[in-house]
Amino acid sequence: MKQPDALILAMKNGDQQAFSQLYDMYSLAIFGVINTIVKEENVAEEIQQDVFIKVWENASSYSVGKGRFFTWLLNIARNAAIDHTRSKSHKNTQKNLSTTNFVDILSGSDNLNKKTDAIGIRKFVDALKPACVKIIDFIYFKGFTQKNTAEALKIPLGTVKTRARNCIKDLRLKVIGRA
Amino acid sequence: MSEQEIIESGNLELYVCGALSEKEANEVNTAVQSSKEVEKEVEEIEETLLKLGESVAPSLSSHIWNAIATGISGVRRMDTNRGTNWAAWTGWAAAILCVVGLFFMMNQNNNLEEQLQITTLENEDLQQDLQDTEDRLVQTTTVLDIIRSKEYDAYTLPGNQSVAPEAFAKLYYNRTENVAYIDTKGLPTPPRGKVYQAWSLIVDPLTPTSMGVMQNGIEIEEGIYKFEGFPTPEAIGITLEPEGGSESPTLEQLYILGPVTTP
Repeated sequence: MKQPDALILAMKNGDQQAFSQLYDMYSLAIFGVINTIVKEENVAEEIQQDVFIKVWENASSYSVGKGRFFTWLLNIARNAAIDHTRSKSHKNTQKNLSTTNFVDILSGSDNLNKKTDAIGIRKFVDALKPACVKIIDFIYFKGFTQKNTAEALKIPLGTVKTRARNCIKDLRLKVIGRA
Repeated sequence: MSEQEIIESGNLELYVCGALSEKEANEVNTAVQSSKEVEKEVEEIEETLLKLGESVAPSLSSHIWNAIATGISGVRRMDTNRGTNWAAWTGWAAAILCVVGLFFMMNQNNNLEEQLQITTLENEDLQQDLQDTEDRLVQTTTVLDIIRSKEYDAYTLPGNQSVAPEAFAKLYYNRTENVAYIDTKGLPTPPRGKVYQAWSLIVDPLTPTSMGVMQNGIEIEEGIYKFEGFPTPEAIGITLEPEGGSESPTLEQLYILGPVTTP
């Protein structure tokens, strides 16, 4: 998917219409990421609101050509969600929840959006190797750096890259038919 | 690294996830901008992760967007109220000044052009006046030269006591060439439809011969008329006649009568 640079520039210039279109493109994926971190739908909704208001307010700090817009959104969303998990109220409600990653959410929840079925992604994700689930969960959903991921999985730094490459390549072939 | 090495390195996957160090992310940035191949790879990785993210998202209520839209319109209102946007103000002020300046200059230019036209016309008028004055000066000088010359004798012809006692006329007469100039400045302006007519008179027997009607054709200077080709006069009379003159003088309207004696 080409990055919609024209829309991003319009949003930076205060065009709410453009912002609305960008929201349509990226909001669901961002919501999925937030939900994977906080694991509570109503909390995820609150964070989703805060994140996109923040995106609008800080649009000027993103510049096209200095990284992907999606990556920038991911960072804001993951930081906001992780901040919440460190708060006291979160710790209290999470005591008894055992869900840990996106695969658990995918197989454990009945309230996923209609698009999920349309993509038919569930069976592809189910087929992912456990090692792949872990690395994708860390570098994509949790926002771990390469170094943190290596430490958490007790694997060499270089392996993080090759594993990320192979796992996402695998997923890519199944999800968008190209790799 | 070659394109293919970058693609196979796993850096692009970490780049999209935001897991690369700043240094490596900058390297990928450069590669993305210089290689369509690398850019396309990044786009496909991103699309895959986007779909993966979407797949684990619960239903996203439209209320969320409404809340965001409300939130940002509040932000923008605050934004516009917060202090003065000097850059915008200065920009607008400069633009307005510029437009006002342009109009002022245009106006000035039009005024100047009008002024120039008026001045040109005035100049033409003055030129004409100058030409007229020069012409008149030439004429006046000519007349002066004539009446000052020794060939011309000067006579003051008195007014007829019974008709115009105050009137007089000046005669400058060249006896040799039989040319006369009569200055009518001492005569009243003739009424509408009337003209003065000059007569060369032989006294014995009294024989009047018309010298001519005093009208534009022979007026060589204001009020000075030139006469030629008339019998040598012993006296000269001036009568008031109907326009075009008469065959014989109307004696009731004899304004001037004076002798022209041999000096």
